[in-house]
Amino acid sequence: MKTLSLRNLGKTYFDPYAGAHVTAVHDVSLDVEPGEFISVVGPSGCGKTTILNMIAGFIPYSKGDILLDGKPVHGPGPERGVVFQSFALFPWKTVLDNVGFGPKMRGVPKAERDRIAREYLALAGLSHAAHRYPNELSGGMQQRVGVVRALANNPDVLLMDEPFASVDAQTRMTLQEELTRIWQERKPTVIFITHDVPEAVFLANRVVVLSKGRVLDEIAVDLPRPRVWDDLVKDDRFKQLSARVLQMVRAA
Amino acid sequence: MNLMLQIWAGYTRLTRRWPGLAAIIPFIPVLALWTAVSEAGLFPRAFFPGPADVMRAFFTLTYKGILPDYLQDSLIRLATGAAVGMALGIPLGVLIGTSRWAHRICWPVLLFFQAIGDIAWLPILLIWFGFGLTTMTFVIVYTVLFPVVLNTVLGVESVPRDLSRAALSLGASRARVLWEVTLPGALPNIITGLRNGLGYGWRALIAVEMIVGTSGIGFMMFDARRAGSTVEILLGMIILGLLWYIVDAWILAPLERATGQRWGLVTS
Repeated sequence: MKTLSLRNLGKTYFDPYAGAHVTAVHDVSLDVEPGEFISVVGPSGCGKTTILNMIAGFIPYSKGDILLDGKPVHGPGPERGVVFQSFALFPWKTVLDNVGFGPKMRGVPKAERDRIAREYLALAGLSHAAHRYPNELSGGMQQRVGVVRALANNPDVLLMDEPFASVDAQTRMTLQEELTRIWQERKPTVIFITHDVPEAVFLANRVVVLSKGRVLDEIAVDLPRPRVWDDLVKDDRFKQLSARVLQMVRAA
Repeated sequence: MNLMLQIWAGYTRLTRRWPGLAAIIPFIPVLALWTAVSEAGLFPRAFFPGPADVMRAFFTLTYKGILPDYLQDSLIRLATGAAVGMALGIPLGVLIGTSRWAHRICWPVLLFFQAIGDIAWLPILLIWFGFGLTTMTFVIVYTVLFPVVLNTVLGVESVPRDLSRAALSLGASRARVLWEVTLPGALPNIITGLRNGLGYGWRALIAVEMIVGTSGIGFMMFDARRAGSTVEILLGMIILGLLWYIVDAWILAPLERATGQRWGLVTS
């Protein structure tokens, strides 16, 4: 497992409609330890998705460095897995082939990558859906596939961009609980982007609050695990932390 | 009213049981009208033959081997043209759809040449290549090319950006993204383009055969005009419609459904 570091990261781009340069990310520095779960929250326009897209390598950065184990990263790569808000499952592939896609790109033979895919589908309780197509699944199930597809490729860092924003409230809570369970089992390094404060606190070891392209503050979340909503909604420490983060986000 | 409903319900049940009937029954009134008009003797028989006369011509020409030969010639020309058109059109469409520069450079040229319809090329083609297969193939390829290119571009551009991003961050190379994401994502549109292209190509072929042809269905019809044989002209027209119906309804449309609808890319 490797350490991810952002050093004075910045992003400026030219907006052809405004006819001017716009700075989405000013100066962001952050160190993510292996096995850590970090939530990044902030109001819309704070640059959180831009940061994630830069780490994923989807867009170039204008200044600073993104280092994975000390080496700079440029462009997308399998050591940084991504879970999308839009799920981004391949509609023409079965669930099994979607999850086996990463191993396939590594040249893993068919039988072995099916075995890997089945193992991860079992982790998400989706074994029964292996041979179905994504459009035959509910939104919640699709995103479960999205998460294990990224995990099955054994990335050093898992980047999640508001992954549960487009599923209904009840499903979202279940997915959040499942994600903490899977995280505890596999201990992947996760950077989780969200604008939902309780979600950020519920999931993370550390919440990073962004404002206008800068880090406003970082808050350690020392809540015990496993975390389940039934307990946490009554937990004073959780309420306290959420209130603090919410205050910061609203002031941001 | 009630009786109409009952008839309609019966028709629905019948066609669900034998879907092939749904393709035949709507033509019964057309045939009946045709028979009635020709039997009524409003026009001289030589000008306006009935279905039975055309049927007889069909058997005679088939028996002589003329019709199968001509049909084969036409179909081979269409298939060759379509194959070449796809072989050129799909890569070109993918290039234009994926590269902003290729799009800027090719798009205006493409629209310009699209406006010069297939038949408008004939005068210059006849001077360059003469009355022969090259001229015919050129026209068919030209006709098939544009719908294939334009629909392929549309298909490539309609593949959500997150899909190629997902593939890249799962370790796919650019070439693998093209093969695993871009092409399958564009496939329903490519098939639509092929379906349109073949439809236009089929019509263009008949027109070209009339002018250039030494064989083929179009030639048969035009040749029959010289001999004053309305029966053969009508036979040719019926074959054109029938053949397209078979190709479109039994091959192309199911192909389009099998890809788009299965993947949820096209909502039926």
